[in-house]
Amino acid sequence: MKILVCLKQTFDTEAKITLDSNGKIESKGVSMIMNPYDEFAVEEALRIKEKGEGEVTVISVGGQQTQDALRQALAMGADKAVLVDPGEIELDEFSTATVLAKTIGGMEYDIILGGFRAIDDGSAQVVGRVAELLNIPVVNVVTKLEIEGGKALATREVEGGSEVIEVALPAAFTAQKGLNEPRYPSMKGIMKAKKKPMDKKTLADVGLDENQIAAKVKALSFSLPEARQAGKVIPGEAAEAAKELARLLREEAKVI
Amino acid sequence: MAANFLMPTRDQKFILKEWLPLEQVLSYEAFSEAYSMDDVDMILEQAHKMCREIIAPTNEEGDKNPAHLVDGKVILPESFKEAYDFVQENGWGTSNLDTEGGALPELLLTAVNEFILGANPAFAPYVGATTGSAKLIQTFGNDWQKGLFLPKMMEGAWSGTMCLTEPNAGSDVGDITTKAFPTETPGVYKIKGTKCFITAGDHNLTENIIHLLLARIEGAAQGTKGISLFIVPKYRVDDNGNITGSNDVTCVGVEHKMGLKASATAMLSFGDNNDCLGYLVGDPPDENGKAQGMAQMFQMMNGARYETGLMALAVAAVAYHNAAQYARERIQGRPLTNPKSDRLQIIKHADVRRMLMNMKAHNEAVRAMIYKTGFMMDVQHHDPDEGKRKMAAAYVDVTTPLIKAYASDVVWPLTGEAIQVYGGYGFSEEYPVAQSARDCKIYSIWEGTNYIQALDLIGRKWTMKNGEVFKAWMKDLKQTIESFGDKPEFAKEYAILSEAYKAYRGIQQKTMEFYMQQKFDLLPLFATRILHCTAKLYCGTLIVDQAVLAAGKMSELGADHFDYAFYRGKVEAARYYVRNIVPEVMCTAGIIADADTSVLDAPEEAFNF
Repeated sequence: MKILVCLKQTFDTEAKITLDSNGKIESKGVSMIMNPYDEFAVEEALRIKEKGEGEVTVISVGGQQTQDALRQALAMGADKAVLVDPGEIELDEFSTATVLAKTIGGMEYDIILGGFRAIDDGSAQVVGRVAELLNIPVVNVVTKLEIEGGKALATREVEGGSEVIEVALPAAFTAQKGLNEPRYPSMKGIMKAKKKPMDKKTLADVGLDENQIAAKVKALSFSLPEARQAGKVIPGEAAEAAKELARLLREEAKVI
Repeated sequence: MAANFLMPTRDQKFILKEWLPLEQVLSYEAFSEAYSMDDVDMILEQAHKMCREIIAPTNEEGDKNPAHLVDGKVILPESFKEAYDFVQENGWGTSNLDTEGGALPELLLTAVNEFILGANPAFAPYVGATTGSAKLIQTFGNDWQKGLFLPKMMEGAWSGTMCLTEPNAGSDVGDITTKAFPTETPGVYKIKGTKCFITAGDHNLTENIIHLLLARIEGAAQGTKGISLFIVPKYRVDDNGNITGSNDVTCVGVEHKMGLKASATAMLSFGDNNDCLGYLVGDPPDENGKAQGMAQMFQMMNGARYETGLMALAVAAVAYHNAAQYARERIQGRPLTNPKSDRLQIIKHADVRRMLMNMKAHNEAVRAMIYKTGFMMDVQHHDPDEGKRKMAAAYVDVTTPLIKAYASDVVWPLTGEAIQVYGGYGFSEEYPVAQSARDCKIYSIWEGTNYIQALDLIGRKWTMKNGEVFKAWMKDLKQTIESFGDKPEFAKEYAILSEAYKAYRGIQQKTMEFYMQQKFDLLPLFATRILHCTAKLYCGTLIVDQAVLAAGKMSELGADHFDYAFYRGKVEAARYYVRNIVPEVMCTAGIIADADTSVLDAPEEAFNF
């Protein structure tokens, strides 16, 4: 069983987001993590492998720093990593998916996994696009996955409940929270990770040039949420204050 | 409420990746296959994540549910078991003794342990005591002992303790009364006696507890030289490590303490039914009744003293970061200069800022001191050059009492200051730092009280090898101070440290005079203060050494860089420490020169009033 996991490095969930002088998101000095939804995907891949035989390869598109996220996956137990560094160009979901699909196209695989979305841009497109480009089925927002006899039974969230889908392999699946509890890398895992292969490629190595992956979507501007307004203290006796509160909720906030 | 586990990793990363030569350590044979500099961030981040998500959540539960005795067994909160298993099974604990399995160098392990200790200071001793006692077996045990006990202790199935103190023999360890009687099997003895204040002495985290116990074999010499070390399991085991039954070890009580409430401090009774077996570590006493136990135990003791300094630092750091966060959020009071303007975040008030700086500067100075010794421990054990190994061993000998006593003496006022930042809320258990203050007080007492550390410094470390060891250490210190001489931005710091160095030499001279004049009474009077002076001079030198590096980074990066505030903070912390704390060395030198004896002159009866 060959399992590929597409993963992305994102800002730490606790990072403070600021904009630089050009209005772009400031990435300097921000600590980076593996996208938490991709962590579910890595964990699921490892569990599938551990049930039988298999090999888990993690793939990412990004610069040198992205290696840290791949190394974390290797420390968790993945066998190999592939990093495609597209250089200093702007990527959108189309570009990333194109690079991934082209890279994966040259590899053997039975299962492709990824988080259903990344916590930074939240577009929830990449794995679906990869599946489309590779012409294989994709099942999204999976909360349970069983593999048997060349087929997969995937439980996914639907409005108000869940549905179970049977699909023939090869197929792609995107992980939703609840699929599993990702493991922490152990000390030994971290030690072994450095001996595992990390295949670093350029765009040319995967047979693409910049024009073929030019972004189709451009972000025009970014803005930070408005700072939270200070709360209001209503003075006076409890009964009076409660009356005033009800009035404010009705007339000013218009919520009751 | 338990202290939130707030501990940024930036200063630790500065120490490991910019200040100390970790690369040199990783090039040693023991580590070069296993680790490279690229692994450092991942190790720190993953350890930190484990502390945040798995260990820190146990802190409040432990503080609210102290270790307690039920039917002769100590019960701990359920979450402690999960955290203990996690740490041990994932290689962050005792398995770091396994040098063939990729043990972390001491320097890196120090950072990992600082996080673990900060996340829950009452939990960490269960792991620490196991590691310390396993290390004793690893160093001094025979093949049978190592093969039987080490694997189980490393994987977390069994834990360990060290049993020294008895109800009537604490600091006077030479007066212990626990006895060992030979049996027909060589190396196996019957143990009889009572031990108290045993950290992690009993609990329900592991299936067995392996006590490393000091006892006197019948007929051995009196005092410390007749003491032997024994492995005494709580339950007996066969050669395959299966538990076969009781070993007549009973827990007769746990202490009710002001802090570290979930760390079980047990009183243990060995051999009530005359059926407690202990396995001798090393050889039986020689024909003069001289045994090996104290020397063996000192290995663990020195490790425990280093660790105690680190505990104090970790608690102080968490208290500081909690207080700093609160000071940024809490709005109270208007500026002195403009009483009509809006109320301010309290971090903007100079006196609050002073308290925060005092905590920050002490923490960074103490961290520099501890990690530097961590580095020296790696050199001591792994450098290919024998001369360097010996030099490093001597260095560690000198700094161990400083680390233990200085860090654990300053943590008490520092956590007090963290409470002060919170104002009235700080005194309330609803807020996080009250627990930090309660937890840290023991550190100045256990593992040899701080007065014992002070005697160790002036009685032993000053005079080791006719004083050559300390002289070499002072020379090294002097060289570092001299290296600041051509840094104009640190001219004042250079001047203060040079003066403090001179004053310290004066203290040494004066102390020698007391010896010569046989005024032995004066030595205990000043010992603790001399230790503090040594640490202040040393910490001041190290923190300026860091600041020189940080100042270089500041001008390289410029004020707009995201890391500028960190480096600027380091430079200001060094200035604060040297200008506000180091001058106390000069003051103490004056006090000692004056040889004031008011303490001794006051009749005992004066203390009735």
